[in-house]
Amino acid sequence: MTSTMTAPLPRALQAAVALRGVSRTYGSGTAAVRAVDHVDVDFRRGTWTAVMGPSGSGKSTLLHCGAGLERVDSGQVLLGGTDITFASDADLTALRRDRIGFVFQSFNLIGSLTAEQNVALPLRLAGRRPAKAEVRAVLAAVGLGDRARHRPRELSGGQQQRVAIARAMVTRPEVLFADEPTGALDSNAARTVLDLLRAMVDAGQTIVMVTHDPAAAARADAAVFLRDGRIVDRLVRPTARTVADPLVALQG
Amino acid sequence: MLRLSCSTFTERWPLFIGAALTVSLGVALVQSSLLVLISAATLDVPAGLSAADTVRFTEGAAVAVTVSALTLGFSAFLAVFIVGSTFAFTVALRRRDLALLRLAGGGRGQLHRLLLGEAVLLGVVGTAAGVPAGIATMSFQSWLLSTLGFVPDGFTAQWRIWILGVSVGVGLGVALAGVLVAARRAAEVRPLEALRDSGDAARVMTVGRWVIGVLFTAGAIALIILAPLGGAAGSMAMAVNVALCGSVALSALSPLLVPGVARLLPTGNGAVLGELARANMRDGVRRSAATAAPLIVLVALVLGQSGALTSFAAAGEAEQRRGTAADLVVEATGPVGPRVAAVAGVAGASTEIEVPVAITRSSGEDIEGETGLALVVDPAEYARAHPGAGSLDGLRGRSVAGGPGGEGGSPGDTLGVRVGGTDLGPLPVVAAVPAGIGGGAEVLLPPGLAPAAEVVAGMSRTFVALEPGADAGAVAAALAGIGTVHSVEDWIARDSAARDSTSTSVFLVVMGLGGIYALIGVINAVVIGAASRRPEFAAVRATGLTRGQVVRMALVESWGVTAVGLMLGVVATAGTLAAVLGTTSAVTGHTTLALPWPLVLSVVAGAFLVTGLTSLLTSWSATRPNPVALLGARE
Ligand SMILES: Nc1ncnc2c1ncn2[C@@H]1O[C@H](COP(=O)(O)OP(=O)(O)OP(=O)(O)O)[C@@H](O)[C@H]1O
Ligand SMILES: [Mg+2]
Repeated sequence: MTSTMTAPLPRALQAAVALRGVSRTYGSGTAAVRAVDHVDVDFRRGTWTAVMGPSGSGKSTLLHCGAGLERVDSGQVLLGGTDITFASDADLTALRRDRIGFVFQSFNLIGSLTAEQNVALPLRLAGRRPAKAEVRAVLAAVGLGDRARHRPRELSGGQQQRVAIARAMVTRPEVLFADEPTGALDSNAARTVLDLLRAMVDAGQTIVMVTHDPAAAARADAAVFLRDGRIVDRLVRPTARTVADPLVALQG
Repeated sequence: MLRLSCSTFTERWPLFIGAALTVSLGVALVQSSLLVLISAATLDVPAGLSAADTVRFTEGAAVAVTVSALTLGFSAFLAVFIVGSTFAFTVALRRRDLALLRLAGGGRGQLHRLLLGEAVLLGVVGTAAGVPAGIATMSFQSWLLSTLGFVPDGFTAQWRIWILGVSVGVGLGVALAGVLVAARRAAEVRPLEALRDSGDAARVMTVGRWVIGVLFTAGAIALIILAPLGGAAGSMAMAVNVALCGSVALSALSPLLVPGVARLLPTGNGAVLGELARANMRDGVRRSAATAAPLIVLVALVLGQSGALTSFAAAGEAEQRRGTAADLVVEATGPVGPRVAAVAGVAGASTEIEVPVAITRSSGEDIEGETGLALVVDPAEYARAHPGAGSLDGLRGRSVAGGPGGEGGSPGDTLGVRVGGTDLGPLPVVAAVPAGIGGGAEVLLPPGLAPAAEVVAGMSRTFVALEPGADAGAVAAALAGIGTVHSVEDWIARDSAARDSTSTSVFLVVMGLGGIYALIGVINAVVIGAASRRPEFAAVRATGLTRGQVVRMALVESWGVTAVGLMLGVVATAGTLAAVLGTTSAVTGHTTLALPWPLVLSVVAGAFLVTGLTSLLTSWSATRPNPVALLGARE
């Protein structure tokens, strides 16, 4: 994975997102917390990686750094070969418009807009006037074709999360970052969302997902384990069992 | 983007209605004050008035113009201040929404444009509502001015079509000015703030607030120092402006002060609720500061202005008491001096006759003109009746002396003097009595200089000193045939009562509507603040608080903020009072302070009552929905 070749890698082999020696510290002096500590990690194109670890181990921070939402103190963040470590706000805005999508535990929909309007929002912010059919198609893909005119508070938690996923996917981003997307859902709703993500990855989507849930991680292609801001373990083709053991070890 | 604003409107209408309301009232107030001012300034002297009546009329009109100009100044200040603080607050409340837009790919420019676009929309809506409201305000203001006697009966302010342009400019101007800083800051919002309320969002003390706070504090201190040097007229304006500067400074710095003061508040025995309220006050610094700001300004302006007015009136009365050595005062018409002096038991009589005067003074190129009153006096008797006036021995023949009004120049000057219709030519100023804080005649004239017709018709006051052992009652009875006789005590009391009622009238005109506007600003902030707290209220109810407890918690909190606002308002007022002390001491030699306690108490009680009631109503309505309904939708 970590090649020493100086020539640019063929696109297919490039990591969708790569962190090189990334550190992020909050606070200063004695109150300083090193949330991410010299992390090196590649998230391969077309794969789904689960990021796991105890609470406070730096999972969210790692995700935010990778997505350009948080500045890093040192190290380098590459998005499909582009170095975004020092990207300007305008560049980051452009990235969010067409190359990155987000889904969070709290669904972060705009309460005053209907599902349809929420989904269309990123396109409209990018200055496009999406066709109704285009937006409806994305909503239909998450199984909510008939809920287009509902406002978030008229939807169940699982439905709201699917609207959020539709909103993240409408721009066809290179990478979808998800922070505990099933954290607030019951197991049925969670399964629907995970099926949706799986289908997207099988169609070539790259997903980086923070989760606590071994069942969720088991649907991913790879898992990395964090503790105190460092990557302490990696797994390929995780299963609920193989994920649970290192987690228990980390908690202890 | 505008569609987004529209759908945001349906969701957060109290925010937008509140903001538009402040704009419309500001527009109404400024428009009406401006029209009244222009109408008062262009008031024509009715044909066929005598010279004395003409002077009285122009004097009255000048006061009306001054009062209207003050009203306009305060209205403009309040419009900018209240709209600014309301807009900043509404933008701050939507910070999470804005961060969410950033997360979905919104650029800084887009956010900026969105907020400015909304401000323009609110400015237009506010102006559209403000113009007709301004017409109603105008008839009220004209009615007030004529009821209080500043303008003749039947005075009506004239509508002018160009005012529409001014009003649109004011509406859009205050709305844009109000949102400009807030929009710049909001556009800087980081997308991550959609996920947590920390970082920049929590940093309420911005550089801008620091700059404004420090600048206006410096301004207030400078005014306190300068006020005593401003002379009787200028110092009053400066003293009142101390409270104005101070309130702006303290409002800007209030995020620093609110948490500190919150810690001082007693938590009471409802321990948990009190603690929760106190924690909310500290955590919701922005909300607390937004509610406190209009309250600080309201308290500072009302108490500062009224405190200064009553103190100056009291200083004027004390000055008059010190400056009058007599037992009786006879009010009559024309030169009654010899007749008074002839009454048995009268040791001295200083007769002072009012005549209308127009003064011109040439200093270099400019020629300044002034109309007012002159007093025809007997120099020796005047000096005896008014200790501290100094010697007027030089005042005879063709000469004048500067009067207590303070505009009559000082010895060595030459004035062009015109009494009634007669030009007396250039006259040297040979003496001057000290300018009084209560004002008075501009110049003193020796006997025989003013045209006899004016002197005979002029109102006169004769200060009578009795011989030792004379029976005051008998002398008064003997003088009754000459004019109305008062004891000096009665006369001074009546004079100062008249002065008090004038200052009350001035206060009513200048601060009445402005005070109501500021009060609406306070109510607005409470309403907006509570409307945005539904989810928070739902959360605390879900943890076991009853609806009544939530409402009580909100009440304690809003009373806490009210207490903070009142305290800071009083601090700003104290600045004005410091300037008043300095001024009265510099002008009269004695420091004087008189506070209108009934007004102070009603402002305090009124503030608690209004914020309390508003808080009760809004938190009651904000807790109406079932808490579960609100917890379900995670935005
Ligand atoms: N904005 C912040 N300011 C200060 N410290 C922070 C901030 N964000 C995170 N931290 C700290 O950094 C560390 C890592 O936080 P992070 O949110 O990344 O943890 P996490 O692994 O996502 O935890 P969880 O599973 O509970 O969400 C924690 O100790 C946290 O207290
Ligand atoms: Mg986390």
